[in-house]
Amino acid sequence: MRSESNHVNQSLFVMISALGLIGALGTVLARNLVHAGLFLVAFFFVIACQFVFLEAEFLAAIQVLVYIGAVAILLMFAIMLTRNVQGDDTTTAPRGVIIPALATTLGLLFVLAFGISKTAAWTQSSGRPAIEVVKPGEKPSARALAVNEMGRTVGNELLTRYAVPFEVAGLLLTAGLVGAIALAHRDALEEAAPPRGVAARTGGSPNGQGNGEAVLASGPVSSSTPSSGV
Amino acid sequence: MHNDIELSWFLYFAAASFAIGLLGVLLRRNAIAVLMAIEIMLNAANINFVAFWRYGTPPAGEGPLTGVMVALFVITIAAAEVAVGIGLVLLCYRRWHAADVDRYDTLSG
Repeated sequence: MRSESNHVNQSLFVMISALGLIGALGTVLARNLVHAGLFLVAFFFVIACQFVFLEAEFLAAIQVLVYIGAVAILLMFAIMLTRNVQGDDTTTAPRGVIIPALATTLGLLFVLAFGISKTAAWTQSSGRPAIEVVKPGEKPSARALAVNEMGRTVGNELLTRYAVPFEVAGLLLTAGLVGAIALAHRDALEEAAPPRGVAARTGGSPNGQGNGEAVLASGPVSSSTPSSGV
Repeated sequence: MHNDIELSWFLYFAAASFAIGLLGVLLRRNAIAVLMAIEIMLNAANINFVAFWRYGTPPAGEGPLTGVMVALFVITIAAAEVAVGIGLVLLCYRRWHAADVDRYDTLSG
């Protein structure tokens, strides 16, 4: 009974992993960027399945919520907003890059697989540490508690042992939010009067926004005279 | 008990995914496709963290959830990275009217 379910687990793992690799390859190779994004969603879902195989169901839920729900949708928005590159030849690699890129990738894959296969502790492990069945009236071990009630344990850990990294992560998210808005914010002035930025660049406007505008507006000017840069 | 899924299976899957992600970073010219390939690589690293957490024993003073916590922080940082990265791509798209990374060569002499 036990080994039968393990065989089911093994074949399920192989099938789901194959699906995941197909999804990753599709993300990398699909001409159409929308198709690539959908392949990426499949890959994220397979990663969530792998977390379930590893008995980290809380992390699987987080994976689905954050990656499929937020990151993939954000990427889709970006693909739609930069629409004219979709499906045309500019998404394919230039000729001279393909061979070195393939060589690098296969070399990395070979090195990683060699390292994994040569480490006896990883290949000849006798399975994962078992989670004991908790009897009533008995205190479960820390590992059993962590696996069985992962959400609660993650909350406790975040507010005790990982309090500082938690705050830093919050600060990083805030900085990312503000930075993304500041980067993608479209100035009305920039649209109306592009040459104004050139004057601001030479004048050296003291505040940050003026400098940003100067850098923004200097792009089309310098690209119209490409030989002047060198 | 040797019928359990071996640790190395997860490691091989993560290695293959990471290699595919690297291939995408090197091969694609579209900046958003490069971002997607980076996401693949980060997810492969997450698989390794969680696999080693489940198959190993965490050290004494580190709590019961070492790998899972690292994976959570990786997910956080990946989300922030995607937000800022897409902001940059949209900004560059407005300037050069292209989302290809090899068009962004103003800094190269």
